[in-house]
Parts: sequence; structure tokens; C-alpha cells
Amino acid sequence: MKIAYSHLVRCIKEKPSINNVSDRLFQLGHEHEIENDIFDMEFTPNRGDCLSVNGLLRDLAVFYSVDLSQEIYTEKLDELSIDFENLAESICPNISFLKLEIDQVPDSYKDYLDNYFLDLGLNKINFFTDVSNYLSYETGQPTHCYDASKISSKLVFHEIERDEEFETLLDKKITLVKKNAVFSSNNEVINLAGIVGSKSSSCSTDTKTVIIECAFFQPEAIIGKSLKYDIQSEASHKFERGVDPECHDNVLRRLIKVVSEHANIKDVSIVSFKSKDNPIFRIPVNVQRINQIIGINISESEYLNYLSKLGFDTEGGFVTVPSFRSDVKTNNDLAEEIARVVGYDNVATLDINIPKNKKLNHKDIEKKLRYFLIDHGFYEVINSPFVNLDSDLAIKVDNPLDSNREFIRTNLTNSLVENLLFNERRQKDSIKLFEISDVYSSNNGIHKKRKLSIIASGRVGLNYEEFSKKINKKYLSALFQKISPNEIFDFNVLSRDLLDTKIKNEIISLEVDIDKFSIDILSYVEISKPPVSFVQYNPISDLPCSFKDISYSIKDYSKIQELQDLLLGYKSDIIKNIYIFDYFENEKQEEIKIGFRFTFQSKETTLNSSEIELVYNDIISESLKIIGISIPGI
Amino acid sequence: MSVHKDILPPELIKDRGSLHPINHMKDSIMNLLISFGFEIVDGPEIETEEFNFDMLNIKKSHPARQMHDTFYVENKSNLLRTHTSPVQIRGMLEKKPPLAFISGGKVYRKDDDATHLPMFHQVEGIYVDENVSFAQLKDLIYKIIYSLFGGDVKLRFRPSYFPFTEPSAEVDILSKEGKWLEILGCGLVNPIVLENCNIDSNKYSGLAFGLGIERIAMLKHGVTDIREFYKSNLDFLSQFK
Repeated sequence: MKIAYSHLVRCIKEKPSINNVSDRLFQLGHEHEIENDIFDMEFTPNRGDCLSVNGLLRDLAVFYSVDLSQEIYTEKLDELSIDFENLAESICPNISFLKLEIDQVPDSYKDYLDNYFLDLGLNKINFFTDVSNYLSYETGQPTHCYDASKISSKLVFHEIERDEEFETLLDKKITLVKKNAVFSSNNEVINLAGIVGSKSSSCSTDTKTVIIECAFFQPEAIIGKSLKYDIQSEASHKFERGVDPECHDNVLRRLIKVVSEHANIKDVSIVSFKSKDNPIFRIPVNVQRINQIIGINISESEYLNYLSKLGFDTEGGFVTVPSFRSDVKTNNDLAEEIARVVGYDNVATLDINIPKNKKLNHKDIEKKLRYFLIDHGFYEVINSPFVNLDSDLAIKVDNPLDSNREFIRTNLTNSLVENLLFNERRQKDSIKLFEISDVYSSNNGIHKKRKLSIIASGRVGLNYEEFSKKINKKYLSALFQKISPNEIFDFNVLSRDLLDTKIKNEIISLEVDIDKFSIDILSYVEISKPPVSFVQYNPISDLPCSFKDISYSIKDYSKIQELQDLLLGYKSDIIKNIYIFDYFENEKQEEIKIGFRFTFQSKETTLNSSEIELVYNDIISESLKIIGISIPGI
Repeated sequence: MSVHKDILPPELIKDRGSLHPINHMKDSIMNLLISFGFEIVDGPEIETEEFNFDMLNIKKSHPARQMHDTFYVENKSNLLRTHTSPVQIRGMLEKKPPLAFISGGKVYRKDDDATHLPMFHQVEGIYVDENVSFAQLKDLIYKIIYSLFGGDVKLRFRPSYFPFTEPSAEVDILSKEGKWLEILGCGLVNPIVLENCNIDSNKYSGLAFGLGIERIAMLKHGVTDIREFYKSNLDFLSQFK
């Protein structure tokens, strides 16, 4: 909600600067941004009472001398005779109607009303709607204006019994669904309660006689409607958060006053219907409790003074909550009021000591398992559980993001297959992944199982001993024997027939309940350590890689280290990584063969062969400067 | 020429994998909290409205309960938990104070854009004892933030609103660029929630806090797009060793 600094400060005696007001608003918990001396406020949903100039001033009154005494119409008002029936009093327990007739529609506004539109960049609509909008901004109470000449029969507030067509005053046609609360006249919906009125009953620039509805609607009846019907409505925003049920007389008298400052009033009358008194919350004064909750030590008089400034009645040993603060009901609520006034950052810390007992960490087996897997080259992944139907036992999402994510997965393997293909498409030839997650299914109730799933394909590793070995069931069975020698694991070879890939490497998978791993695993001593610090991520490239291998023949063994140092330390912007994929010593010929693989990839562009050759040739020429080594074929 | 026996083959570099950075961050935070005296409790990701909302004082009218914010399953009989708080409820119903629980894991909200995902991770903690105060909550939060971001980081507490805590606060840290970044939400457990769990709110009070793991991981690792965490790209994952 936008509130102009000038509209606030004109009621504050000290005339604080905009930055001072801004600091105080932040202290009170009212987040905002400032642009052109306008506060763009973002209130927490419990503070509907702040959605107006007066509401915000009520909160700021704890810091400043605030004058909230706007002029109101004080004369006795005639009782309005209106044919009205409230068939949904539980939704609207409190409603007033004001009928006003003016002699002439004003062609200009007083400064304060004009400035409201000017300062906030709002468009004027028609006189009565403009005054109504201004009053909502000033007081926080939305009112709705009907052109009295367009309401010819009984007005009924009710919940509709079937879907009905409705055209809003903003020319939008919507279908209201059964149970929506509306005002009807002559069997036609003329107002979607608390959200928007109808085109057929709305005021125009010619309207001289108006019926103004001022109501309290239960937030539950309003919430979600503007979103559902895609209607931008300041009124619904306020009603959803709760308005002051006791403000009608004051707001309508203020409205009459504003109208009277712009036109001669020929006739005015008012009527109120109230089916239920608003509950009054009274909390016994207990400053010790407040001090204990916050962890401070303020005196009772200081406590009561703060509350009094915030509009609470503090007489008679009770704190009586004002009708506009429906969010306050307990001492904890009052403690928050005090903490806001003191300033959260000004509350000194008190040392906390939580009793430390020896507590069982039942995740130890899982933790060991994870470290065992990463020690053997597996990467942990986390996948979304939302999938297309994968089993008759899959749980259906009632409101999925889309039709491809309508169910909760019943296995982890399918996600890992997707992960594998994703990485194969990125030219990875050694892929080992695992995921540990709860898996849910529906079969006479919802069932949960915690599972480990692994998938692996391609080379066992990229070092010179593992480079030419392919991952297969035998390799994985031997691996899992190390941690669970007494368990037989059912590794699967997944068919690639239905997968979108031309790669032929075997895909081996396993999906198993975590329960299958016994405490024997706890004796495993992990090799990998958690990173000592949080590494800074280096953005990755999705552009294609190119691979270049160079195999050297070395007769002078003393040069091996020099060659390694040169090549493994070779720097180029387009080299992603370098490793030794082959190493063989031919004792007979007193010769060592060593192969290096270079991965080329750019972050900016797809590399062409000449860019790669340039670096590749430099590597060759630099390495051949070492005496005693050669590259067969060159 | 050297004698070949003197020559050692090149170092055999075994490929190691890595923990997922989100799980690693979650574990780091939970280990820190365990060192403070918290105990891990677990709960299901598929929850009831009672545990996810009602017991936490989140009223029927609360926007979070709308179909556009929460994933409901099996004809609205259950839902995917929108926060880890229901685990605290389960913990409080099982044990009597003093108690100090943490829970961490996946939570779900109906968001899907560049900065929000329908699945993300939280760690939450609750401590209930006699005379637990907001000033003690602040002490705990300072300890957590200093452990995560270093002792020289500046932080501020802002009044906020959560139905399950009162008073409620959000905590920001000041970035190197001079911007305040929201890090966690916290507060004193609303007495209504304690009473819902059969804990005498006149005798006991509690503090609670919750952190979004992705947000902290993004800050710590310098990841700017949250979706990177869940592409399972080995080029990404291999950086977090």
C-alpha cells in the first residue's frame, strides 16, 4: 500500500524527516520502500489496522505527538429507511448504510482531496467514488457507493445458491460460484461483498444521490476471492486482513464532512444493523510477565504508557484491546508491542544454555553410507518428487503444477536415469550418482519408506588404472560387499532400448531400503572429509566439450615428473581439465608410455578446431622441449 | 639414463564424489545445533492439515492454506508439508519439557520460478523450558549466524508475523554490497501452540526458529540461480568437494 510522507507528517507535531519516519516504521516492523516521498508499505498480514494513514499514525503515535482528530459531521442524523435483509449475518454481523443527496456534483476538489490523487498518482473516477476511496485511504474502512437511483427494490445480503454471472463496475464479466457472499437487488447481484460492485448499480459522474454501504465482513469470507476472480481490489485487501468493526459511525460522519466541504447536502440519513457485539479483549496488567517474555526490565508505568500511546485502554488493572487491534489477545501479543517499541535490536541478549544430554543420532548409518559412496566416486543428487504416473500406488496431487507432475514418485531410480542421461548428453563418460530420500505410496493408507538408489555407467574412474574398466554388476557387487558383506544386493542392468541415447555403456542401478544396511557399516572409516570451508561456485558452461589425448614415450625416466608438472599445471582459459588416463612401463624396452587427456570447453562460445589446435600445438611444442621424451607419430 | 626402479608411477588419483551442497549445508547447520544441545526429530513429508496448520495456529482463513499455495494430495485428505514445523508439534506431543528439537528436510510450496522452487529445504528448531525469553532467542540466533557467516557479520532483527510465534522476528544480515538479506525467521512459541501440544503455557515458554537452506547455500557458495542445485549436473556437483 502506498502512503505519502506528506499525508503522515501533516498530523505529526514534531514534523520528523522522511528518513526518521522510515527508521521508526522499520523499528515497528513495517517494511517499506521509498520513492518520491511515497512509502510503499508491505504490512504483515496480522496488521490490517495499519492499512491507512490513520492506522499508521496510530502506531507512530508511540514515538511522536500525533493529532488524529479529523473533523467529522457532528449533527444528529435522521434514520434511513431502507428495505434491507441480512441473510448471512455470520459473514457480515455489522453493517451501516448512509444515504446522501447533494445539489450539485463539484467540478473541483479541496487541496487535501486533490492531493490524495495527485501525490499517489491515482485517477479520479466520480465524486462519490473518489470520496469513498479517499476515506478508505484515510481511515482504513472501505465503503461502497451505489447510485441510489439504480437501487429500486429490496437489498439483500446473502450467499448465492448457484453459479451466477456478474459484471463488475470495471467491465469485467465473471461467473460467481455458489456460496459467494453478495448483495442483490431485484434478483440481480449488485455487489460481490467486500471485493467489487456491479456495473449496473455503480455511481457515475452525474450521480447526486448515493447509498453508501459500510460493512464488516469476516476475513474468511473474503479471502482468496480477488485472486480467484483476478480482480485488483484495495477493499478486499483490507477486508481479508480485518477492518475495525466499531468504526462505522465515525467513518460515515467523516465522509459526510468531506462531502459537505465539496457540495451542499440536501438530504442525509443513516441506519446500522448489528447482529452481534464485537468481543472485547481485556488482559490483566502483568508487567513481570511481559519482562519475562522479552527478557527486559521495564517498569509498569513505562509499560502502560507505551500501550496507552498505541491506543490501548489501561485503566482498572486491565489492558483493554481497542477494536481495531483484532490481532492482540494475549500477553505474548502485548510483549510484541513492547518489544517493537523498545526496538528488537535494543533488547540485550541473555546467555542461553540448553541442557546437553547424550542424544541418539539415528542418522549415523545413513551418514556412513553417504560417505562410503562419495569415497568411491559417487555424487549425491536431490530430485523433485513430482512425476508423471509411475505406479498404481502413486499418490496423486490434487492441484499439480502441471499434468507432467501430477503424482509423487514411488521410486528414485527413474529420476536417476534422467540425471544419468542429462550428464551423458554433456559428454560425461564416468557417471556414478546416488540419492537417499523418503518414498511414498498409497495402498490402504499412505506408506513411507526411506530408500537409497544408485545409478552408475561408463568408466569406473578417470585415473589410469580405472579409465579402461567399465562399470558393471561385478564391480558394484564387490564394492557393496565391503560395507555389507552379509547382504546380497539386487543390482539391475537397465535397458537403453527406450531411452533417448546412442551410448552403449551398461547402466547399473540399485534401489534398496535404508533398513537393509545394518550397524556393521558404522565401522567403515571414511576417506572423504566435509569441505572445511564453503567453496565459491564457479559458473559452469553448457557448451560442448572437445577431448584431446597425447601419449608420450619416455626413455629418460627422470623426465616423467617434469612432464607431469608441465602438463598437469598447464593453464589455458579453454582447458577444463587434464588427467593421466594411461600409464604403462615396458621393462623390456626400458620405456614408459604415459597418456594425458585434455578437455577443452569455453564458457562463452562453442570452440572451433583452430582454437583448440592452437593450444594443443603449444602443449606439444612445450612438452617436446623436454629432452628424452617423444610422441610416437610426431 | 635413470634406473627405472627409482621411478614412482604418477599419483593414482581416485575420483571422489561429493555430498549434495544442500544436504551438506543442512548437515552443517544441524551439527552446529546438535552441539548447542538440540536433538534431531523426524517427521513425514506428507502431513495432515491438523499438524501442518491447525496445531500451529494457522487458521482456516490463512492464505497459506489455499490451493494455490499448498499441494494437497489424495482428495485433500493430506498435504505436502509446507514447512518442517509439524515435526516440532509431533515432538512436543511425544515428550515433556524441557525439550530442544531440530528437524530438517524437504518442504513444498506451490511456487515455480527463477527464485522459488516447489520443493526446498528447511531446518527448524524449538526449545521449550521455563522462562525462555526473546533475549535468549536473540543470543541463540547470534550464535547461529556468527557460526555460519563469521563473527564480524552485522545482523538486525525485524518484527514480523508468524501465526505460531509471538513475538515474531525476521533476521537479516548485511551483505558485502551493503544490502540487508533475510536469513531466518524466529520468535517465541505462541502459547496457543504450546497449549495445543498439552504444554502448560503459564509454566513453560519456548523459542523457535527456521532457516531456508537453499538461501543460505546460495549466499555461502555464490550460486545465483536456485535451479542449479537440482539439475544434477556433474560439472556443478563436483565443485562442492
